[in-house]
Amino acid sequence: MKKVFALVLVALMTVAMFAGCGGDKNYAAENTEFVIGVSGPLTGSAAIYGTAVKNAAQLAVDEINAAGGLNGIKFKLVAMDDKNDPSLVSGNYSALLEGGMQLSLGTVTTKPGLEYKNLAADDNVFFLTPSASGDDIPSNANGYQMCFADSNQGQVAAKFVNENFKGQTIGAFYQSDSDYSKGIFDQFKKNLDPSVQLKVTSFTEAGATDFGTQIDTLKSCNFIFMPIYYDPASLFMTQAKDLLSPTAVYFGCDGFDGIDSKQGFDINAIPQRVTMLSHFNSKATEGKAKEFIDKYVAKYNTDTLNQFGASAYDCVYALYGAMQQAIANGKEIPVTISASDMCEILKEQFEGGYTLKNAVTGDEIKWEQTGYVNKTAIQYVIKESN
Amino acid sequence: MEEILSTLINGLSLGGIYAMIALGYTMVYGIAKMLNFAHGDVIMVGGYLIYVFMATNNPLLAILLACIGCVILGVCIEKIAYKPLRGASPLAVLITAIGVSYLLQSLAQIVFGSASKMVTVYEFGSVQLLGCTIQVSSLVTLAVTVAVMVALTMFVKYTRMGRAMIAVSEDKSAAQLMGINVDRIIMVTFAIGSALAALAGLFYLLKAPNVFNTMGAMPGIKAFTAAVIGGIGSIPGAMLGGILLGMVESVSYKITAIAPYTDAIEFTILIVILLVRPTGFLGKKRREKV
Repeated sequence: MKKVFALVLVALMTVAMFAGCGGDKNYAAENTEFVIGVSGPLTGSAAIYGTAVKNAAQLAVDEINAAGGLNGIKFKLVAMDDKNDPSLVSGNYSALLEGGMQLSLGTVTTKPGLEYKNLAADDNVFFLTPSASGDDIPSNANGYQMCFADSNQGQVAAKFVNENFKGQTIGAFYQSDSDYSKGIFDQFKKNLDPSVQLKVTSFTEAGATDFGTQIDTLKSCNFIFMPIYYDPASLFMTQAKDLLSPTAVYFGCDGFDGIDSKQGFDINAIPQRVTMLSHFNSKATEGKAKEFIDKYVAKYNTDTLNQFGASAYDCVYALYGAMQQAIANGKEIPVTISASDMCEILKEQFEGGYTLKNAVTGDEIKWEQTGYVNKTAIQYVIKESN
Repeated sequence: MEEILSTLINGLSLGGIYAMIALGYTMVYGIAKMLNFAHGDVIMVGGYLIYVFMATNNPLLAILLACIGCVILGVCIEKIAYKPLRGASPLAVLITAIGVSYLLQSLAQIVFGSASKMVTVYEFGSVQLLGCTIQVSSLVTLAVTVAVMVALTMFVKYTRMGRAMIAVSEDKSAAQLMGINVDRIIMVTFAIGSALAALAGLFYLLKAPNVFNTMGAMPGIKAFTAAVIGGIGSIPGAMLGGILLGMVESVSYKITAIAPYTDAIEFTILIVILLVRPTGFLGKKRREKV
């Protein structure tokens, strides 16, 4: 009897399993607005990034709606909390898709993003992530990035060094057990001109207390490439301030963003020059970036103002712009369009060289066929030498 | 030459901190016969207490208050978590210690948040010697560690309390029969260990002025390694092990080819020592002693 019962149960569950796969069901059939979905850490230790993305994307959506939307059709942003935990992504994704999502900002961070990109590829949902920078995020045809991919940052940094330090000796300081830091450093080294002499030193997360040996190695360098996060960087600078030449230059990547607002760290006590190669400077005083900062601070607060938000703001405008371009090219985009049909239209635009002009994180933003962003990284001076 | 010298000096200054933490481990192990894996987190609490009391702008007062705070915390941990397990299997005590460690880390995250904070306790500056720049704070760390080591050795050898500690470590029940209050001895041991942890927290901050809730975890494990290399339970052994480990780390970071494997090299040494000489360099072959 028990056996029969078990068999029936198995049969029922199998049926239920297949019932779930409705094929190409259009969840957006009832939509009255275009729905943009995003999954990001809204709580937990990375909450500052998810909150920034949600706020800035909402800012862009509100602006677009106030200006009449897309031919009168408005947009709606739905943000789900993934706590930077990949195991929550699949639930969030289903809820978003079944809630009528047609456009997506993917995820805010890389680890959940690696989960998300496969789910989105299965259903053919287009996403443009503001900040998941892993090299593998846009590996499928439907995924694009607004931030620089990790390896791209290394190449851009190498290009900068090749142009300015031919035949000279520079220092490099990276974290050997961090994917972000090692990823950038490896690409940097690969693309470096052979005439540039490199003095390399590294640390591990466990050893991030005393940088005496590393400082010693970099003593003679006047230019130090540091693709690390601002936390160990601030510690290094504090320990090195009297030991390295006061005219030395620290050159970081987007991980440096936020170093000047770290609690208890007075960047002005560091004599050296601190610069970063990034697409956004949260202290910008002119241009589109300044406009964005003013609008963001007026609506939210300065605590969550960072490059993640700036990037998300541009993402919404890029999706909007690509839809406008498609319509101009004779496409029809009804409000009830399925996510998959929307994906085909957007893919055509992005693959066809769609360009976002005069944006917050770049004057001219284009995309490679690989999904990587193609824009100019700018060297920002966080602090001049004293 | 200059390079070699500065690498050695860096090793010494790192080793000083490891030795200071290892002293706390070895004290508690030598007398209470337990591995207090929460020791690293008491250092973290010490760091946060210094951070909080630095609001008084008086480094000495902040350190004193942090020491007192850590002593109270250490005694409380012993009373609440370890004392009920006196006589239980060593494994039960070990697991409890790991639990206490996580508890302290999580509490710190709830109270202070997950972002790290910088705190400058005191700027000693640096001096020039034979072409090398030496941080005065490293010299202070080394000097204080040596002084503490000597003081602890004297205390254990020549005071009544110290000799009672040796008696407890050799045979708890016999010591009890001789009229020694074992609970009190162990409590005092934890008090001393926790005060050492607060001092280690101070030296850590002089070197790396960054407090965060997991700051004690890795130095704790490194110092434990140092204690085992030197011979756990032996006070001069902790000093020797700490300095040795600091040297290895400094030299390894200096050689670019092996720098990324520094942690692996350090822990491999631990394994080799355990295989070749399980009692460490200065550990006694015969029955465990202080």
